[in-house]
Formats: sequence, C-alpha cells, structure tokens
Amino acid sequence: MTMAPEETETEVPEGHVKLIVDGEEVIAPKGELLIRTAERLGTVIPRFCDHPLLDPAGACRQCLVEVEMGGRPMPKPQASCTMTVADGMVVKTQRTSPVADKAQQGVMELLLINHPLDCPVCDKGGECPLQNQAMAHGRASSRFVDTKRTFPKPLPISSQVLLDRERCVLCQRCTRFSAQIAGDPFIELLERGVHQQVGTAETAAVFSGTPAPEPSDMASKTSSGAPFQSYFSGNTIQICPVGALTSAAYRFRSRPFDLVSSPSVCEHCSSGCAERTDFRRGKVMRRLAGDDPDVNEEWICDKGRFAFRYAAASDRIRKPLVRDAKTGELVETSWTEALRVAADALSKARDARGAAVLTGGRLTVEDAYAYSKFARIALRTNDIDFRARAHSAEELDFLAGVVGTTPDHVSFAAIERAPTVLCVAIEPEDEAPIVFLRLRKAALKHSTKVVHVGQWTTSSVRKTNGELLACEPGGEAAALDGIAQHAKDLDAGLAEAGAVILLGERAAEVVGLFSAVQRLAERTGAKVAWIPRRAGERGALEAGAAPTLLPGGAAVSDADARAALESAWRLDAGVLPSSPGRDTTGILWAAATGDLDALVVGGIDPDDLPDPALARKALAAAGFVLSMEMRPSAVTEHADVVLPIATVDEKSGRFLNWEGRPRPFTVTLEGTNALPDCRVLDTLAVEMDADLFTQTPQASFADFERAVSAGRSVVRETNGSGTAEHSRPHAGESNGNGKLKLATWRQLIDEGSLQAGEPHLAGTARTAVVRLSAATARDHGIEPGEHATVSTERGELTLPAEIADLPDGVVWVPARSPVSIRTALGVGHGGAVSLSGGTA
Amino acid sequence: MTEVQDSVFDADIHAKAKEIISRYPQSRSALLPMLHLVQSVQGHVSQEGIAFCGKHLDLTDAEVSAVATFYTMYKRKPCGEHLLSVCTNTLCAAMGGDAIYRKLQEHLGAEGKPLGHEATAGTPGEPGSITLEHAECLAACDLAPVLQVNYEFYDNQTEQSAVELVDALQRGEKPAPTRGAPLTDLKSAELQLAGFFPEDAERFAADVDGPSAATETLRGAALAQERGWVAPPMREENA
Amino acid sequence: MGMFDPLKGFGVTFSTMFKKVVTEQYPEDYYPTAPRYHGRHQLNRHPDGLEKCVGCELCAWACPADAIFVEGGDNTEEARYSPGERYGLDYQINYLRCIGCGLCIEACPTRSLTMVNFYELADDDRQKLIYTKEDLMAPLLPGMEQPPHPMRLGESEQDYYVHGPELARGRGVPSGETVETSVEEAIQ
Repeated sequence: MTMAPEETETEVPEGHVKLIVDGEEVIAPKGELLIRTAERLGTVIPRFCDHPLLDPAGACRQCLVEVEMGGRPMPKPQASCTMTVADGMVVKTQRTSPVADKAQQGVMELLLINHPLDCPVCDKGGECPLQNQAMAHGRASSRFVDTKRTFPKPLPISSQVLLDRERCVLCQRCTRFSAQIAGDPFIELLERGVHQQVGTAETAAVFSGTPAPEPSDMASKTSSGAPFQSYFSGNTIQICPVGALTSAAYRFRSRPFDLVSSPSVCEHCSSGCAERTDFRRGKVMRRLAGDDPDVNEEWICDKGRFAFRYAAASDRIRKPLVRDAKTGELVETSWTEALRVAADALSKARDARGAAVLTGGRLTVEDAYAYSKFARIALRTNDIDFRARAHSAEELDFLAGVVGTTPDHVSFAAIERAPTVLCVAIEPEDEAPIVFLRLRKAALKHSTKVVHVGQWTTSSVRKTNGELLACEPGGEAAALDGIAQHAKDLDAGLAEAGAVILLGERAAEVVGLFSAVQRLAERTGAKVAWIPRRAGERGALEAGAAPTLLPGGAAVSDADARAALESAWRLDAGVLPSSPGRDTTGILWAAATGDLDALVVGGIDPDDLPDPALARKALAAAGFVLSMEMRPSAVTEHADVVLPIATVDEKSGRFLNWEGRPRPFTVTLEGTNALPDCRVLDTLAVEMDADLFTQTPQASFADFERAVSAGRSVVRETNGSGTAEHSRPHAGESNGNGKLKLATWRQLIDEGSLQAGEPHLAGTARTAVVRLSAATARDHGIEPGEHATVSTERGELTLPAEIADLPDGVVWVPARSPVSIRTALGVGHGGAVSLSGGTA
Repeated sequence: MTEVQDSVFDADIHAKAKEIISRYPQSRSALLPMLHLVQSVQGHVSQEGIAFCGKHLDLTDAEVSAVATFYTMYKRKPCGEHLLSVCTNTLCAAMGGDAIYRKLQEHLGAEGKPLGHEATAGTPGEPGSITLEHAECLAACDLAPVLQVNYEFYDNQTEQSAVELVDALQRGEKPAPTRGAPLTDLKSAELQLAGFFPEDAERFAADVDGPSAATETLRGAALAQERGWVAPPMREENA
Repeated sequence: MGMFDPLKGFGVTFSTMFKKVVTEQYPEDYYPTAPRYHGRHQLNRHPDGLEKCVGCELCAWACPADAIFVEGGDNTEEARYSPGERYGLDYQINYLRCIGCGLCIEACPTRSLTMVNFYELADDDRQKLIYTKEDLMAPLLPGMEQPPHPMRLGESEQDYYVHGPELARGRGVPSGETVETSVEEAIQ
C-alpha cells in the first residue's frame, strides 16, 4: 500500500483516495478512518474510545493529529478516529508533528487528572492501555496537586460486572457496545461536566431525595422494572481500556503478568467461539474473547466467558470408581481394575442382548469418533446416539444431508450478507448468542430482513429489528407451508440470492418441520443451516455417533460404505453391523425393558432428555452402566463404573461448529493426568480385544479423516431408512388432556451442568416466568404479576406470570430454569398443558 | 404495550404521554417533553417517573436517567410550589444578582443556615413552598438583574423587591410577572412545557397575549431609528 | 634476613593479644543488630487487630528470589480479617530462598509487610523454613483483637488508612504509645 515518494504518478484505483501521512504517500479506500490508515503504515496513534467494531465516537480525544486539507491546515488538531481519508489530505501524526504530540500529551494529562493511582491493585494493571500509554507518552510526574475526585466503589451494575467510576475515562466503549452490538443499553453516561459518569439508573447517586439503594439493587433495570440481564455484559469488561469495569468473578484474583494465556475454543454452544483461556497455578482464572473475524469477531457471550468453574469444582472425579458389590457404593480404584471390570461387563453384554452408547453433546470430534468406533467395533452395534435432547427419526434423515457441509454452505459471513434470514424453531439469543450478534449486525448495518417463526416477540426479534411469524408451538411446519400464500414478500425475500434459513434444535419436536423446511428451501432456493445448541453435536454427527450414519455420513445400511469403512479400519469384511441402530429414546426404552444389557454414557443429564423418567428407569434397569464423567451426576448415581475424563482445558481436540468449520484447540492445562474420552475408550477397547487407534486426539483425528475419505470414495446411497422403529410412547404426545399448548426452549443461562459453580453468572440469568397472552391470562383468572401454574398429569410448575404477545391458548415456560420442564411436566415444545392461577 | 396503571401516574397522564409520543416520528424524541410531564405530576423526576418514561418510549431506565441527569431543568428532588431561579451569570451578577441570591438564601434559610442551591423552603409540594436555584444566563441581560419564578420573568430586581416577591409567594399570592403569562405554579408550568396548554380559552389568551418585548430590549433599535443608523451593506460574495 | 625477622612476623599476633576482642560469643551473648537490619518479615496489624495485608501479591511479584507466595481471599460480613474487600488468605515466605533484599517491603502498598531484626533463620528441616501466615503475623498488642471481627475503627477502609492512628487514640491509646505493630515490639 505504501508508495515510494519518487513514484508520484501512481494510479489511484476506483473508490480510493490518495493522501499523505507523515510524509508518505498512501492510497486508502474511501471512508477509511485516518487512525486505520496510519495503522497500516505502522504508526499506532494512541486511542481509547476507538474500537474497530464500534461506530466512531471521538469521545476520548487521545488520537489527535494535525490535518491539512487542500493546502490549508485545519486550525486545531483533529481526532483521527472520526475523520475519514480524503483526496489530497496531508496528515501528520505524533511521529512528525510536535503539535499532534503535544496535543496527545495534553489529553493524556487531562485523562489522568482524576484517574486514581491504584494501578498496583487494579485488575487491569499490566494490560491497561491507559497505563501503557501513560508509560510510553505521559509525563513522569503529575502536575495536578489537588484532591482527586472520588466515588464509592465498586458499584455492581449487574451481578457480573462491577463499575469503578474513578478509573473511567468516559470513552463510552461500554455504552456503545451495549447499545450497538448487544442491544442491551444497561449502562449510560449520566450527569454532565465534571460529574459525568457511566452508570445505571440506580447508580445515579444524584437521586438524593431517595435513600441510597442497596448495592444489590444498583443493577440496572429494564423499562419493565426488571433487573437488567444482558448475555453479553462481559464484553464491556474486556473492551474497557482502563480498569473501570471489572468482573466479579475475576476481581483481585490474578494479574495479567502472572497468567499464562492459551488460545482455546468455547465448549458451550455450537458457534465455536475463539477464546483465550488464562490460567495460573494450574487453575483457569478467566476466559476472554479471542479475535476471529470469521466466527465471533471479538465478542463472546457471558456463558462462554464465565462458565468454566465446573472444571475446577471440588467434586471433580479424578480417579476411576467402581461400584462395590457389597455396599453398593462407588469406590475409588485403579485404572487397570476399573477398565477390567468395565471391559468384562461390556463384553458379556455385547455377547448377550447388547450394549448401547449415549454420548451427550459436549464431545470433540475426536472423542465422538472414538465413541462411534467403539460402538461399532467393540460393542458391534449401531445403537449410538449423540442427541441428548428431544429428537426424531425425521431429524436424522435431515441430518444425513447436513454431514459434510462446510462454511461454503452457510457461514457467519453469509448470515451477515443475507438479504433475508428466516429463523425457524430457534431463539438465537438464547440458543446461539453469536449467531444472534451477527443477525443484529446484519439487520442494523446491512438492513437484512430477519423473520422469526416463533410464538412471541422475544428480545431476539426486537433486537434484530425482526418480524415475528407467530404460530402455535407445533404449528411451525404449517406456518412455513403457508408462507407462499400468506407472506408473499417473505417468499420473495427467501428467493433472493443469499437468503438463509436457520433451523434450531427445537425443530426435532415439531412433526414435519424438517420436510417443510426442505420444501421451502427447494422452492425458494434459500440455504438451510442447522444450528444445534451444544458444541459437540455437529462434530458427533460428522463422526457417525448416530444410529443410522457412519463416520462421514454414509448410511449404515449402505453395504459399499460399510465395506469401505471396514477396509479403512482394517477389519474383516462384513464385521460392521448392518442394521440401523436405535436412537436415544429407543436405547433408553430398550434398556428400561430389558432389551439391552449395558449402557455406555458420556456427558448426559437425564433432565435434558425427552423423557427424564424413562431415562432414570433405563439407567436403573440396565445391567451395567459405564459413565464417562467429570463430576457426579444423575448418571453416575446409577453407574457401575465411572471413568473420569478430561475437560476441554485439559485436552486437545476440535469442535465442529454449526457452519462445519473445524475449531481446533490445544491443551491449556498441561500435566493434569486427565484423559480425554478417546484415550479412555481406546484402552477400554483394547481390554475388549478391539483396536480403535484413538490413543490421542491427534491419532483419533487422523483415523477419522481416513474413515471419512474412505466413505467418500463410494457413491452414497440416498438415506431413507430411518431408525429402526420401536413401539414406544412419544414423550410430547402422551398427556393429551391439557387445553393449552406449551412453547418452550432453553435460556442461555440456566441450570446446565457446565454452568455450575459460578454464582455471578447465574445472577445474570433471565428470570423464569410463564408467558401467556392477555386473553389467556384473563380466561384463567391470572393477573399480571401473579403466579401461574402450568400442569400436566405428570406434575406442575409455578412461576410468575408475564403477559406477552403469544397466540391465545399458548403458554411459554423456559425449558430448564429453574427446573427441567421435561422432568416436572413430562412434555416439551408443542405439548399439551393445563393452566391455573397459582400461589407463590 | 401492557397498560400499567400505577398509583403515581393516572390514566390521564398515560393518555397525555401517548399524545406527546404521537407528535414525533420516532418515539424516543418525545423524552424531553415526557420528563416535563412527569415533573408536572410529581414536581420532580423520580425513579417511578423514569420507569414511566422508559415504559412508554421503550427505553431502558439507564437511557432515561442519562437524559434526566444531563439537563438541569429536570429536578431530582421534590420541588416547592414555586421554582425561583436567580440569574448569577456575569451581567446579572454584576448588576446585583449575586447580592439578590445571597439575600434570598438568608431570607429563605432556616435556623441561621442559608438555603442551598436547589433546596426548598417549606415542605416540598405544599402551598407557599419555594425551591431556590441559581441559574445560568436567562437571556435578559438588558433587564438585569432578573429572576424567574416558574420560568416567568421578574425584571430589574433589587434585594428588596426580591424579598417582597418571595414573601408574597409564601403568603400564597401570585404577583404578576413583568412580562409574559400570569404566574401559576411549577407543576402547571411544567405541563405547559410538556406541550399542554390551558383549555380555558380566556386563560390561554392571557398566557399568549402577555407583554413580551420590554422597552429596554427595544432601546437600541429605537436609538438607531432616531439617529438614522443602518447596518453596513452586506459584502457581495463571489462578486 | 635478620635474626629478629621471624619475631616480626608475630608482631601482628602479639599486638592483637592486647586489643579488645571482636569475636561475639553468639549464641551465649546476644547483640542487637543495626536498627535497619533486614531480618525476618512481619505482617502488621491495624490498631484494632485487623490485618493490614490485602492479598495484592505485589510482594510476591517484587521478590527477585521467588520466595513469597500469597493468595488473597474475600472478606465477608461474617468473617472480616482486614478492612476493605480482600485479605491475605494464605501467606508464605520461603527463607531458604529469601535473600533479605527488602524489595517486598518497598512494594507493599499498605505497609503490611515489614522486616524485623530477628535473624535466627536456620533449621535442620527445609519444611520448617517455609514460614506461614501464623508465623509471620505480628503479635496482638494491648487493645488488639484476634480477627475475624468487624471494623472497630471506622466505617470503611478509608478511615483506617487515612485516620488510623487518630482513631486508635480515640479508643484510648495514649499519645506517645505506639498504636501499630512495628519493629520494636516484635523482637523477642
């Protein structure tokens, strides 16, 4: 980009301008900010308020430079973070202009006037832009001799974010992030002049007529008066250029210079955000957003940022446990002993009525592949399912088409560019927060039309300037089919190039929705992206941890694919089981009724499953249960052998995010001796006389790639077989006496087991309420603000009632806050429930 | 939007809020008059008032607070029946504004302590209660020193006239302002600032037809006319 | 070489015989060190017995020999060890590593860490030379109370830092008497 000075006759490309920065001629694209042009030349102009992903503000005035336009110098130094390049502009930064340098030093001195000298005890000390710039450009001593302005501190502006107003330089990065990126303006600039400060409505201590609120009441409120709960508040802590915003979880825990940083990938949702994990003395202290423009840009949700304490929980299982035959208690034992017991029991079960595998949604590709191979070689069955949630055979058929798609199909960037995005059975903010941020960015910056097929105007709908295509829960398929007639503009929008349909995990609970989506996609040409909720689901699908699919996505029933896999796995021909396996419910049903002798269970919480009661029954009834767990759970309660496995911090591997993008990560905490699932399964398989070749994640992945390329060499049969049908009650349809339909999904922050041990994060969870329309409330005699009881034959759930624009006859309840509604009510999305006024 | 009727703001105020909002293409533009509306009910902007605005305009409490704390015309503490603003900017101060302010502080103060800025003499909201503030320029330098009661002008004041004015206000009288509309009370003035004028045609006419231009204001123009002074002609640009 | 030369060589020896002996009869005799001698560390207390350490770890960071380990903890209303938010939950100095340079003392922002003149830092067990918080805490002076207990001197830590001695006098410590633990009191 930089041109040598003598080459004066340079061609200026279309849409570019020529200017001079520090004596160097530069070609810059129109609209580029001066601060970025200078940066490209290697001149870093100091700044605080400027952030590449936020709109320019010019709030801190630190980036002043001298500018000359058309031969006339501008009378005063200009803020380079708000000024765009222009043809013939002459810019002098602090490198060449004493005026700019002096101006910057003056601003620095002003910013430091009221800034406390508490760097030694400040969380930001050591990684603080203000500190760095004061050291680099500031004066050695202060000329300010008066008393500095002080404020009480820290003020909790949410249970997670603490505000220290003394340190604030009013750059407004936090307020701009909240308003622009997250759409949650929970903090604002209050007061004026010297009293100006960032705060919430409640921290404005100026309301001196009223007594000072309790610190716990200072968290901001929404217009409805509820405490503010932003899923993205943690980002404000990270982008604060001083130590004004600190995290309750990390406050005073560590210093930047004694942390070891390691790039990592978030294990919570299917976006696969790049993160930076900072640890100290073998303990993870904090997680920060990594910078990955293709995926999460520089943002992560609070769950990804704060929910990591489960790994350091005191009840972590570190040694293998075997149930003592006499006492019935789990007893710590050696790996050799535990593996021998497990291998013996599983071999026996395999040779009798069989064993099945439930993997759960937390696995890396490598681990999922090991489970998949373990089931097929060691247990000689296709009874394996990664879906620890509501699922259907229809979903499996749909997923066969998802296998192998890459970001070329639909990516985050594609969402941002899309003219129209249709969200079906997904609540982006709760189920895929980073997808939500991209949707919001698309809607705000690129005027993308976002349409949500859902039940009520959720915050996702509002913050993406979205339209709601309201339908009854369970009626989503019909709503999609009706688009052609009733929503012609949407239909036309979906037919435009680049239109995208996003499909969430709830789709499996709606009969016929997958085929309706495919019909719609085929008719309009819109691309369909499946966005599961858990990080491991896409990878597990690819690794063949499904009853009808082999690694790489070929059908189990496809003899050629099996033969190719057999040769890739160096097995005798015809060894691989050919009949499709049972899905999660089928496996549990079989285990509960004695059709299966053993279960191998990964990270599964029965409360997530479509029928928790059946799951508990199955776990209790199965002859042998092997649990691969990190912490005691409902599964380990019934397990005969518990094998401890590594958390993401303790192993390497890769997740496959919903785009199909590999998200590899390395070991963060070395030397913990924790073993990844693939290693444990490999050793267990050896005990059972089978070789998985998954001793390490690297080996596992290499083997996985071999298996996938073997599968690719054969022509894939169209997958229409579906799971083996088993007579079993479907959880969602059993209780038919209710008059109302239940809509439900999981909120981002709830009772999930990976969020354990982090009370500050739990404090930002959205309040659990029953939502219903005004008419429904009236019909059932429920006043807003009162409690409502939702019930089925199975049980009942009482929560505060809130009026929303749901269709009449529909109630919405969060799926796992505070309890699993599957456990409490026995129904899921689209289920029938009764409603009555309840008492608190 | 769910209709929330609370004890502070009755249905009429909710209706007025909706009317204010309907004046603007974007609802958030209505925030300033809405805050005046809140003050017309409570005499100050309370936390309930902030929540009220937030609810109607779909803003968060933080956003409403940001605006309410920025402007000095929104009071955070309950105010008296009247708001007495004494100009203490340069010219008024030099002409006696400072002295008037000091005098009124002492006069209204209790137990030997002068009344502070934005403090109230008497029980806030009760008849005869007065909130005193020193104001920045009230744009009447030619009539300095000036003071305002509920934003109505009292020109060319002296310490004595100011004390008399205050005494009259405390007795419940409503001395006529030098110019402009007749004096009411702070809450009524706030309602007008919110854009709601008296429906009674006679009172409305009295408000609108009050004298506005003072002799002092026009003195310069009169002098110029008398002596035939004219402004120099505009220089022709691009000539 | 002259005949007296061998005796000359003993000149220094003989003359020294009549000089004052410089050998100290340690450990029978115990001589105080210079007042600024860098001896053992001490963790000081506020006049009401609350600890001064806030667990900031700056001492550990200043230490060139990596001899100090600190872990901070949160004060709660039920269990308060220091004024303010944080206190030193765990504090260890490894005297096998300590070189007595005193950089930790300079780093301490609350004057919690000081050095006393005690120098008998030798043992036959390495483990015993890792001094823990119990070993390092200053003794309780009259008027002091063993933490945890609520702040007795004021409402906030500001009161302790800004007006500590005056507030202590307000509680009956006569002027002239020291109100804070420091070097003198800790010498055995």
